[in-house]
Amino acid sequence: MQPAVVLTGLTKQFGGVRGITGVTIEVPAGGVFGFLGPNGAGKSTTIRLIMGLYRPTAGSALVLGADPWDHGAEIRRRIGYLPGELALFPRLTGREIVDRFAAARRLVDLGYRDHLVHRLGAELDRPVKALSKGNRQKIGLVLAFMHRPELLVLDEPTSGLDPLLQDEFAALVEESVAEGRTVFLSSHDLDEVQRLVHSLAIVREGRIVAVDTVEGLRSRAPRRIELRFAGSVEPGAFARLPGVDVVSAAAGRIVLSVRGSVGPVLAAAVPFEPVDVTARPVDLDELFRSFYREEEVGAR
Amino acid sequence: MRGDVARLDLRLRRRSIIWYTVGLGAYAFLIVGLYPAFKSDDSLDALTRGNATLSALFGATGSLTSPDGWLNANIYANFLPLFVLLTTIGYGAEAVAGQDESNVLGLVATLPVRRRDILLEKAAALVVLALPIALVTMAFVVVGRAFELRLALGPVTGVTAGVVLLGVDFGLLALVVGVASGNRGRALGVAGGVAAASYVISSLAPVVGWVRPLRFASLFFYSVGNGQLVRGLSVTALVVLVAVAVVLASLATVAFERSDVH
Repeated sequence: MQPAVVLTGLTKQFGGVRGITGVTIEVPAGGVFGFLGPNGAGKSTTIRLIMGLYRPTAGSALVLGADPWDHGAEIRRRIGYLPGELALFPRLTGREIVDRFAAARRLVDLGYRDHLVHRLGAELDRPVKALSKGNRQKIGLVLAFMHRPELLVLDEPTSGLDPLLQDEFAALVEESVAEGRTVFLSSHDLDEVQRLVHSLAIVREGRIVAVDTVEGLRSRAPRRIELRFAGSVEPGAFARLPGVDVVSAAAGRIVLSVRGSVGPVLAAAVPFEPVDVTARPVDLDELFRSFYREEEVGAR
Repeated sequence: MRGDVARLDLRLRRRSIIWYTVGLGAYAFLIVGLYPAFKSDDSLDALTRGNATLSALFGATGSLTSPDGWLNANIYANFLPLFVLLTTIGYGAEAVAGQDESNVLGLVATLPVRRRDILLEKAAALVVLALPIALVTMAFVVVGRAFELRLALGPVTGVTAGVVLLGVDFGLLALVVGVASGNRGRALGVAGGVAAASYVISSLAPVVGWVRPLRFASLFFYSVGNGQLVRGLSVTALVVLVAVAVVLASLATVAFERSDVH
């Protein structure tokens, strides 16, 4: 199956200011692709290039098989888009906006649109300027999903939504994927999207630093293991094991960060007569944050 | 191009265009209704005879008590173009640059509509916005025949078309500057400044020798500054005003097709 999005060496500069540099990713069709990174990393810039809003400085983008800059109108018919900083016309009501955008998309069957409005509890009868951020976001979601697009490009989609609506949004995404559609969603929070995404890319300072599946990321994430012993323990016996870091050590207690198999750790522990062992689950968020910390260290 | 973008923008400007039209319509009715009280006032004509330059700055030339002099001095040479320009320059600056600054253009630009069509629909909305004020004013001027303001319908129609095209031209100038710079304030400033200079040149041309040759560079000269209320809009003037609109719309389209939208 043709990938939904293929970005090759995609670069965007704003005068002398960095946008993104050499972004290369392939988004498989029919799944949920997470595009993760801290604020200002280049997520929205990449998304605007995918939507044909920005002209690339270098590199290429293929979205649903076509260049979004040269063939934008044709492919945008097949895309649903939720901007990161959603702004709606403040004096219009939600109903006016939804009706006008449905008409502009030549949407004939309004049943699914009305279903979405009801399901999300979108407030359509008040002017947008009187709505909360969450209520505006609901209208944005209706606009993105209402024409059942082949590709959904959602920039920070759960921003402003309460936990119940975040669950509803997750269900909506899962239903879309079950119908064979592709979802490209950005977030700065892995926790928020890890239950949804099948594969992901992490962007930092305009460059891709990791492309993986959630399982792949999980397998690379360190476990934290705490061992207690009847007598004293020699930290060096653990420090020399591959993939093992000694986090802390005291008389009769040692805390380790372990990547990969725990077998060698347990074997090394036996001579010191262990009395208790505690292993915390894989800390995916910690791994994700480590990409950001590298950025902070680099910035100093 | 099905007009969705144009209709959206017209909806967004609906309130302001209604109030501008009501305001200038009321003013035009007042001016028309007052004419019988002033048509025999010799002191008004003495004003233009005694201080031609000052009178010219306000767009008044010749007799102020003739029907065309009265309407030129009070409506066609100043207030009507001013109101039309406020409307069209305001929209021209807002249509792309202003909407981009307030982040609403991104939603429109991600509809399945070509950039060229978005721009052309905005240009069409600009033309529509220039019409109500000019047409309502024309309607009251025609009503003015009942108040002894007897002017031929042809020239009144011609000058109305001239004012509409003047507004469209300067609105498109604001649109071009807005698209090219992405800055609403700059679009307002440049288009407003050029319009003011154009007005001064056209107004002073009849009384200041060295300004006279410059009148051909003034769009006011082609629309309201050359006796159009009596002689009508010449073919040359019509061609110039339309040609300027076509060139500016083309420039705006090319610039918009190349520009980033946020």
